[in-house]
Amino acid sequence: MGKWVVPVLVSLWLTGCGEQEWQTKDISGLMPPLEFTLTDEKGNTVDAERFRGKSTLLYFGFTHCPDVCPTTLARLGTAIRQLDDEIREDTEVLFVSVDPARDDPETLKEYTDAFGSQFVGLTGDKEALDALTRRYRVTYGYGDKDDNGNYDVSHSSAVFAFNGQGEARLLIRDSDPMEAVVADLERLADDA
Amino acid sequence: MRTLPVLTIPLDKLPSLIRTVCGIALFLVAVPPALAAETLTTEEARIRLLPGDLPAAGYFTLRNTGDTDLILVGAQSPAFGNVEMHRSVDRDGVASMQPVEQLELAAGEQIAFAPQGYHLMLMQRARPLAVGEEVEITLLFEDARRLTVTFQTVSPASL
Repeated sequence: MGKWVVPVLVSLWLTGCGEQEWQTKDISGLMPPLEFTLTDEKGNTVDAERFRGKSTLLYFGFTHCPDVCPTTLARLGTAIRQLDDEIREDTEVLFVSVDPARDDPETLKEYTDAFGSQFVGLTGDKEALDALTRRYRVTYGYGDKDDNGNYDVSHSSAVFAFNGQGEARLLIRDSDPMEAVVADLERLADDA
Repeated sequence: MRTLPVLTIPLDKLPSLIRTVCGIALFLVAVPPALAAETLTTEEARIRLLPGDLPAAGYFTLRNTGDTDLILVGAQSPAFGNVEMHRSVDRDGVASMQPVEQLELAAGEQIAFAPQGYHLMLMQRARPLAVGEEVEITLLFEDARRLTVTFQTVSPASL
């Protein structure tokens, strides 16, 4: 008898509350609203206000990253393509390069265009990047250069999601099921 | 036009020592590639391209169906000046890449080079590459065995 209790409770909980809960990690109230001053793909200074009115997904990475960054961006792109047109157009992915030495505006534009029109490349000097990464309590760092001058860059792997008012809502990870990400992006569009 | 006379000796007229030596030489020359083909298989070999000359990632599943343990020590390709084996790691939400010098592949086992794990980091393109092209990459093993695999190039946005 006892072995049925947990599954029954879990399914009651799922059916009862499923619609009210975010399916990825809820960070409402745990992280500050989106604020930054960075350089965009045209070399212009841009701040977070520019993206108000849209759901924004913030991800830190670098273009010389063959595996992790494209995988995360491709997953976000796959989720975004499943959204209704209206919601999709009001969703933007901010790819913030923490490797400004190699990622100039041109490289960033070419890179983000490869993932879709919802992807925007941003970067900044050390001061601007430090301010933004500290704000969201993440780190980045550089590995040693090899003989060819290549180096690895460590960066946070999760994606921060903000609603149209720039309020922090979610932490999306690559381990989250695609359906969960799509459902949360749909809900995020209606949030606040 | 004159052709050079070719000296032919029937095999059974050769002294047995020479026959043995020739036999071993033939075996060494002919058999390793055949062994490799029979006991190593790959699936889903693909290169996820990024724009320009940004490093690309090579993914595949390699299966050792033979009864000898093998050690993968690297890869090379005429399409790239530099190919390295890497592994992506995620520690407490921080992603980074580690070089991989060698990778054991026990008899009967398989290893997956897949997103967010082991991958080939393909650098310094020898020529521009477009999505949909086929590119040959040769996997190198410690015992001098080699396996040339045809990889399909795929879009950056593909999972």
